[in-house]
Amino acid sequence: MTLLFRFLQLLSLLLLASAVTAEHTSNWAVLVSTSRFWFNYRHLANVLSLYRTVKRLGIPDSQIILMLPDDMACNPRNAFPGTVYSNADRAVDLYGDNIEVDYRGYEVTVENFIRLLTDRLDEDVPRSKRLGSDAGSNVLVYMTGHGGDQFLKFQDAEEIGAWDLADAFNQMWEKKRYHELLFMIDTCQANTMYTHFYSPNIVATGSSELDQSSYSHHADNDVGVAVIDRWTYYVLEFLETQVTSANSKLTLGDLFDSYDESKIHSQPGVRWDLFPGGEPEGRLRTVVDFFGNVQNVEVENANATDPGSLKEDLAEIARLVEKWQRRDEEYSAIFNISASQPSKKSQSSSVHLAPKKTVGPTRMTDESSWAKRLVGISVVGACTAIWVAGSYLGRSVA
Amino acid sequence: MTTINGDQASPKASAATKSSTARVPPPETSEAVQTRFRVIAAFWAVIVLLGFPIWWKTTSIYRAHLPIQEMVDWDEGKICRPVFPLEIHVAAPAMQISESQHLLRTTQHSLDDFNEFAAHHLRLKLANDTSASNANGDQTAETEHEAAEERADIALTVRVLPQDDLTAPRSEIHADATQLDVFYPPNQVPLPSSSNPPLSAFIAQELQGLYSEEKATIAHILSGETAGSDSESISRRLRRSMKYADTYHLSFSLFTPGPVPSSWDIEAAVKEYLTPLLDAFAPISNFTVDTQVQLYATFSPMAPPPVYDEAETAWTLKKEDLSAFINAAEWPLNPSIGSGPTLNFVLYVPAPSQSPMLVKENRASSWIVPQWGGVSLLNPPLSEELSPSNPKHLTQESLRPAFMTFSHQLLTLLGTPATPSSLPLRLQTLIRVRAATLLLSASSTMGSLARLTESLPSIPIPATVASSVSTTLTHLGTTCSSLRDGRFAAALASARVAETEAERSFFEKSMVGQVYFPDEHKVAVYLPLLGPIGVPLIVGLLKEVKRLIAGRKARAGA
Repeated sequence: MTLLFRFLQLLSLLLLASAVTAEHTSNWAVLVSTSRFWFNYRHLANVLSLYRTVKRLGIPDSQIILMLPDDMACNPRNAFPGTVYSNADRAVDLYGDNIEVDYRGYEVTVENFIRLLTDRLDEDVPRSKRLGSDAGSNVLVYMTGHGGDQFLKFQDAEEIGAWDLADAFNQMWEKKRYHELLFMIDTCQANTMYTHFYSPNIVATGSSELDQSSYSHHADNDVGVAVIDRWTYYVLEFLETQVTSANSKLTLGDLFDSYDESKIHSQPGVRWDLFPGGEPEGRLRTVVDFFGNVQNVEVENANATDPGSLKEDLAEIARLVEKWQRRDEEYSAIFNISASQPSKKSQSSSVHLAPKKTVGPTRMTDESSWAKRLVGISVVGACTAIWVAGSYLGRSVA
Repeated sequence: MTTINGDQASPKASAATKSSTARVPPPETSEAVQTRFRVIAAFWAVIVLLGFPIWWKTTSIYRAHLPIQEMVDWDEGKICRPVFPLEIHVAAPAMQISESQHLLRTTQHSLDDFNEFAAHHLRLKLANDTSASNANGDQTAETEHEAAEERADIALTVRVLPQDDLTAPRSEIHADATQLDVFYPPNQVPLPSSSNPPLSAFIAQELQGLYSEEKATIAHILSGETAGSDSESISRRLRRSMKYADTYHLSFSLFTPGPVPSSWDIEAAVKEYLTPLLDAFAPISNFTVDTQVQLYATFSPMAPPPVYDEAETAWTLKKEDLSAFINAAEWPLNPSIGSGPTLNFVLYVPAPSQSPMLVKENRASSWIVPQWGGVSLLNPPLSEELSPSNPKHLTQESLRPAFMTFSHQLLTLLGTPATPSSLPLRLQTLIRVRAATLLLSASSTMGSLARLTESLPSIPIPATVASSVSTTLTHLGTTCSSLRDGRFAAALASARVAETEAERSFFEKSMVGQVYFPDEHKVAVYLPLLGPIGVPLIVGLLKEVKRLIAGRKARAGA
């Protein structure tokens, strides 16, 4: 009997725990292209297509970090200036009139990417360039570019190793910067990039095995280059045709089952072992858990009167406002009395409350600029003196 | 020409080598041997004495010493067990001193009997009446003042008053002060003989009721797991509320799909309706405010449009579609001003053709988006000149309901508990809850940093991190002792410092671990550099050692 009871208790606890872990409170997306130059048009198109999809499914721009190392839309070789297309039919202009690129050009570096993930940024870096995720956030990380065995090249100049990426994710986990993380990568030998991950709650998927290339899907003859990669193309095809609304119930399992090696021309991989519950549990996560934005809106009932309800609060706030108004009046009354008494003595006309002072710009540093100028002048003076003395002495020797 | 010359030269050269192999080379002079020895020794001296230290110095990573064990202990909760002793003053002006002392003792006794969560307990104290009458005035200023005086904050003042026409005791909470009035029939003055008089049982029960939600919340935070019946609502509230920040940015936006209303009395409205609340929050957080008006703001094409409801004579939005109401792609929200997180408050004035607009299920006109902000629909009276249109200007009075709603949403989003029904008490509860949260989060950051330094030996740890860590640890200690003494405002103040410093130490800019090199890479870096230099040096050293050994053997043999 007690055994049964224990078992039931355990079961209820487990159920409760799973109900709690299934919750997340916000969604973030980090979309990174890592290659420059016109012939890598497709990598930018990959990222922009995914950007469009996550935005369509409800993640606001403030929660998307978009890293584009080059500007294909304004490239002089672009036959369609100001646009980026990911399909030869050129139906959807991915550049559109409303895209927010957070890191562009030479800002896209390994260092900045790792700083972004671990939030080791200067204090004056704006919030739009920061990953503000917390313990309740589901994070989607999508990377594309040219890579090899356990590395991904950034901008022809440097590369990120699978170890660094794994360490960065571990630091995010340590600081509770994600709840669950979906890592996607489309590059040659992509699956090697997630082999070193060791932090929990990560699902990783890549486009190709070790020693396999990832191929582009098709080229647009007018644009002149390939416009999208195969794996990304078929992932997007799934997302665009199946996941049509933010309330879609399709799961990650469905997404990964849609991989067709004969179409992708490489073997995509999925890594489940870091996820609690492994593959069976991970497959149940819906696609919009990562690609959409959770918003459990709470409508307030205007007529409820239970504690903490709108009505109660309104009454309290109104009382607070009244109290402050009273206090303000009392204060100004006291002030007027105390101000009017000396004014009688000094026979001055009237005393007003000081006008509201607008806050002016503040000085950035406390150092006095004059001291610095003095130092500068003396240094310049000394140099000039040396120069004059040198030229004078030199002439006298000659 | 040259080829002929070459042909002629080669036999000569081969003849010369042949003759040299036949002959023994002249023995090296001892000076030459000495010189060679010195040259090799000089090279090696430079390498060992200069090169090696420089290499060691330049490639080693500065790692300041961190008190790893202490940090881990904080994280595991070994150093501090947070306790929340609440000091409650009881004033019974109509009773004799001995009677009120007896009342106090018995009430305390039954309170202790009730309490099953030991970390949070109520301590009753007898107040002389003069201080009690002061206490119902401006309480916040007084508590701050007293925190400075190293005394415990008075959480609540209970005034026990006789009232004639009563059969059973009743209580009344002051909505704008931390005061509870308990009225009792004069014949119920506890007798010194009774061990559990009904009046003290009543007071104990009332106090228990006042603090039950706070107790559950703190227990929830401290244990980190769900327990008890009302845990669902508590965890829901904690999830809904923003993460603690030192500064919050409040952004008020007026959105409308048409050209009007194009102005609103926002400055006066914020000053009138919001400033008192923000001032009341001053000990907990700071706030910055910005406002904007956005005209021609349309719904996103994906969002389901409102539907006209004949019965309600209003345009209605379905509850499940509300999450798509905010057009995140096009409305310029989240201005990312300042350093703190942004709370968005959206006031939406529907187009005249879609006015009035309501939520279908319960005719509400406002809703909260957890951890993001609040939305309020405002349906101003339409003017009927030529065609129905919205007013051009929204007056302060017309903004009143919306701003009251925003104030309520702000309270909810900042995690203010729902009970008791007195705002000062709820804010005090929030102070304690926030202090507990910050204490735990700073401790856990310390633990993370300690584990990080252990697991990543390649990242540098600058001295600033060490100093931040020590500041954090001292402030954590102060927080813990302030909590133990019941000085919660002081505890929150030092917990805020601890949290800031802990975040600063963890997010130190120079601690970026992007220097991991696999061993192959190290070989690849060093080999082209050291190979060409190393081979002659090592071979030279070996030859010299061989010669010395041979020489010694020869000398020994002789």
